[in-house]
Amino acid sequence: METVYQVMEALLPFDWMEFDYMKNALLAVLLITPLFGLVGTMVVNNRLSFFSDALGHSALTGIAIGVLLGIDNYLASMLGFALLFALGISMVLDSGASSADTVIGVFSSTGLALGVVLLSASGGFAKYSAYLVGDILTVQPEEILLLFLVLLAVLAVWVLLFNQLLLVSVNADLAASKGVRVKLLEKLFVVIVAVIVTISIKWVGVLIINSLLVLPAAAARNVARSMRGYHGISVLISMLSGVAGLILSYYLGTATGGTIVLLSAAAFFATFALSKLRAR
Amino acid sequence: MKRILAAAAACLLFCAGSTACAAEPEDEASFRIVTSFYPMYIICLNITEGIDGVSLENMAGQQTGCLHDYQLQSKDRKNLERADAFVINGAGMESFLDDVVASLPSLTVVDASEGLAVVEENPHLWVSVSNCIRQVENVAGGLAAADPAHAAQYRANAEIYVEKLEALREEMHEAIDPLPNRRIVTFHEAFPYFAEEFGLEIAAVVNREPDSQPSARELANTIRLIRETGVTAVFAEPQYPESAANILAEESGATLYFLDPCVTGEDDPDAYLDAMRENKAVLQEALS
Repeated sequence: METVYQVMEALLPFDWMEFDYMKNALLAVLLITPLFGLVGTMVVNNRLSFFSDALGHSALTGIAIGVLLGIDNYLASMLGFALLFALGISMVLDSGASSADTVIGVFSSTGLALGVVLLSASGGFAKYSAYLVGDILTVQPEEILLLFLVLLAVLAVWVLLFNQLLLVSVNADLAASKGVRVKLLEKLFVVIVAVIVTISIKWVGVLIINSLLVLPAAAARNVARSMRGYHGISVLISMLSGVAGLILSYYLGTATGGTIVLLSAAAFFATFALSKLRAR
Repeated sequence: MKRILAAAAACLLFCAGSTACAAEPEDEASFRIVTSFYPMYIICLNITEGIDGVSLENMAGQQTGCLHDYQLQSKDRKNLERADAFVINGAGMESFLDDVVASLPSLTVVDASEGLAVVEENPHLWVSVSNCIRQVENVAGGLAAADPAHAAQYRANAEIYVEKLEALREEMHEAIDPLPNRRIVTFHEAFPYFAEEFGLEIAAVVNREPDSQPSARELANTIRLIRETGVTAVFAEPQYPESAANILAEESGATLYFLDPCVTGEDDPDAYLDAMRENKAVLQEALS
């Protein structure tokens, strides 16, 4: 880790690089944002942005379960609950009982309300409010390693299964006729989203995690002309707004997560305007 | 697990308490005192010790901590409806108080901070031993006025407790006054009264608002401040997450210690005394 710090100091001789927590935060941003930019493209393609929002809300219940069980690290309880939750949503969706937005809405509000009720049972919900806005500044080296491994795993899945995933999202029937195991792939994608949302929620926060997932991809979709460009631009916007947001928040004294989201939102509106201009 | 048990126990106690009240006429005559949160509960535990016909209950529960942003739950309201006296810290700690007073005009509210000098609207008065003594006297006076039948006993108990607190204050002055370093950095604004009493200088307070994480710039400024002023000790509270305090200590080269403002703890009349003795030991180690 020391060598990484030294390299960073040599490359970025800035005021804010003086502190290890800023280096850690920068590393975490450099790992989280491409992850979100990449997975976000498929979330936007598959119209799952509301679904990932629900997953973020479920993290609150996961934390509450961890608190009740007396687990110090809430990651396990959050991950467990998020996976159950994600597969639960996808099962109810498959049954075709109600429309997708209704089903997800039901799950989303249940997850949030259950978390609030369980956490406030001891009268101290405020203690967990850090999870609502997140805190990237407290990320630790071992957690950065975890993020790095997750990024590698997601990249591997993308390289191996991208064509199939794309085919399913364009036309599930066509994919099935070509021998793609549609249901399995859909479940796999749901699990990936659940894992990355859960792992990064502590630093990004329940309230804004979905914006990070959806905004860069949505912005890229405005201007991209090919699938490759769509992914590239999404990752680029995600990383740029992440790094710029972190640095800006240092100088402005604002919350880091919120600043990053506002920059991605600015990117969305800029690309939106650009695409309208182009269309004329 | 502990919390589940505690919640279950609280439920049981609550049910048992309410049925007992309805069934036994003896209990109906008893004087019910409800305290707003832990420091007041400990004070009242000492004042009501060994007095028959007086019951004591802590509204917020032992582990809640400071009542900033506490939301009154319906069980709290029911609890207060049946109370004869509500002992509060005052000075703005109980932000829900106006609501309670408006809806229960007949409830006797005993304000422990009456007549105490409040600095910068900071309600953590009890963290200074001298202020705590004044609070004990205020509470004893208030309870004696509200419940004349037990007035003499309240006053006698308060006197015993005040003596213990005075001995504690003496002991702490002896230990802390000769320490060479006087500058400290604390988290969450619980310690100004404590620092004032023992002549410590708070060089910086991080996290002015409880439960909010400091921003990157705030952290950087505090780290620079610690480096410049040569503060060697950063004090966090056991009740709050220490992640930011850890960062601060690591980057500035200071050592992280814990000071207990006595807002949570065991159901023990000596809890305040014990916590303060613990703080004394921590300060002796940190500032010598």
